[in-house]
Parts: sequence; structure tokens; C-alpha cells
Amino acid sequence: MLRRNATFFVLLSIAVAAGAALFLLRGPDAVLTALGTAGGLLLVVLPAMMAGLLLAGSLKQLIPPGALAGWMGSRSGIRGLLVATLAGLLTPGGPMAAFPLVLVLAQAGADRGAIICFIVSWALNGLQRVLVWEVPLLGADFALLRFLCGLPLGLLAGLLARRIPISWTPPDTPPPGHRA
Amino acid sequence: MTASQILLVVLSLGAFALALRRGLPAGQRALRDTGQSLVRVIPLMLVAIPMATFLSQLIPPAIAAAWLGPDSGAAGILLATAAGGFIPGGPFVSFPLVLTFIKAGAGAPQMVALITAWAILGLHRVLSWELPVLGPRFAVLRLLSGAALPVLAGLLAEALLPLFPHALLRP
Repeated sequence: MLRRNATFFVLLSIAVAAGAALFLLRGPDAVLTALGTAGGLLLVVLPAMMAGLLLAGSLKQLIPPGALAGWMGSRSGIRGLLVATLAGLLTPGGPMAAFPLVLVLAQAGADRGAIICFIVSWALNGLQRVLVWEVPLLGADFALLRFLCGLPLGLLAGLLARRIPISWTPPDTPPPGHRA
Repeated sequence: MTASQILLVVLSLGAFALALRRGLPAGQRALRDTGQSLVRVIPLMLVAIPMATFLSQLIPPAIAAAWLGPDSGAAGILLATAAGGFIPGGPFVSFPLVLTFIKAGAGAPQMVALITAWAILGLHRVLSWELPVLGPRFAVLRLLSGAALPVLAGLLAEALLPLFPHALLRP
């Protein structure tokens, strides 16, 4: 709750500072132009965002979390990385949902290549974020180009991670604050 | 409404219908989840979008076009990768910012690299989530595995760009 409000106030103060700078440097007309652009953009973005959030909320009811952990063990090879990529795409929510899930996957036996593949896939191509933010704000063509360029990266990161000689075992106890 | 928005609405209503078929409680949970997300996201949108349009009026187009423009090539992709790693915050910060850069004349491959770097290498996420939840060894391991990927994505986008002639146009 505190984090959310902090974000809001940081954004608000940047917006106010930028608006004031614009007013001083370019005059009131530039501020009005910018506000008009912002209003038009909001009208385009809001309906798409409501639809995207409804899609995410419904998918969450349809896909059981953690059902894929068994597919991502250390001998899972390329198939494990493909499953991890797919799971990352479908995992909704921000880091407060994804990183605790990563811990669950690791403790359930997923290897580090699959875990890193999952994180990269989720962070880069999580469908919820693509649908809610990227398509409405940047347009479907750019979003598709970006998505396609990102699609193989989880697999690459996973393959690399399996070769880097740093040993790692998942922490045993759930971290404080994971309930957020 | 554009075709992509109509598709999104159809998809979301379809998924909601499937959730409803699981029973009324599942449908209610889906709606409650959607409502909670909206309550969280809408205030952020209301300040983030004016912030982006104010900033876009302040950034001289020539600078963005010269450093990150379509002709900036691999150097622009490297610069965008470095910049992306330092953009703090969630999608409500990064995507309006990218929109600002695009309006100021940035190129599509450079913006692909920027978004990829923000998502994979974003320092704020490593420090506030990965380090506390999974530990420093894991964070180093993952950063090493991912370090080169944003540049790769940018170069890939440069190669694919001819297939996406409308990638930088607002619908």
C-alpha cells in the first residue's frame, strides 16, 4: 500500500515539475496542448486497459498456479525451458506475485536455467503487461515487433545460465514480506 | 476503436465467459480481481500520461532523434540498453516514457532495446525484489545470463523492421 502511494506521489511530482517547467519555458499554450494530447491518449488507453485487466483477472481463475513446476527440473533440457517460457508469458501480476512464485518453483525442483528463463520471459513478455500497457500505449505493430524480438531471449538466458559456474541453492525460508 | 482493441475486448469477454462456466464464484473472483487492478492502475495512469506528454514537449526532438533515432544504429541500441537498465518503476513509468521518446523521433530497434533492458536488467527490480527474495548469487547469475540480450533484441528488431512498416505510428 505504501509502495503504491509512493509511486503515485513520485509520478505526480514529476508531472507537476514537468508541467511547471513547460509553462515557464514555452508558455501556457504548450501546457494546454500537452494536456489535450494527454486527454486524447487516456480516452484511447482506458477502454483497452479495462479489457486487458478483465482478461488477466479471468485467466487467473482458469490456470492453476504452480502446476508447471514438475516440468522444469534439471534434466528437463530444452523442453523445460520452453515450458518455462510459456509459464512466464502466462504469469500475471507484478514482481510481488512473480518472485515468490519463483521461490516456489525452485523449491519444487525447477533448475536454475528454467528459473532464469521463467523470470526473463515473465519480465519481458508477460502477456498481461503487453496487453494492458504496451498495445494500448505504443500500438499493436510495435508491440508485436518487440514481443517477437523478446520471445527467444528467455531460452537463451536459460541455456547461458546452465553454463555459468556459479552455484546456487534456493533459500529455504520464505522471505519476509512475500505476502505482499 | 482500432482492430487490436476490438480483438482485446473480444478476448477478454471470452476468457470471462470461460471463467463464468467454472461457476459463479470464479466469475466473481475474476471481476473482483479486475476491479482491484483498476483501482490500483487508474490513478497511476492519470498522472503518468500527463507526465509523459509534458516531458515530450520538453525534450527537443533533435536530441532524441540524433542519439536514439532510426539512423543511430548499433550505437543507439547500446545507449538505449544502458538507459533502459536505469529506468525505475513499473510499466506505468516505462511505457509512457517510451511513447515520449518515440514522439520525439526515436527509432523502433532502439526502443525495443530500451524496453528489453528495462525488463531484464532493471536495477530497481533486482535491488528491491530479486536480491531480497532469491539472494545475491542468484541476482549475479541472472544478470550475467541476461546482460547481452537487450542488444541482441535491438539488432533483431533492426533486421525485422522491414516487416513492420507501421511499428512507430500511433493507431
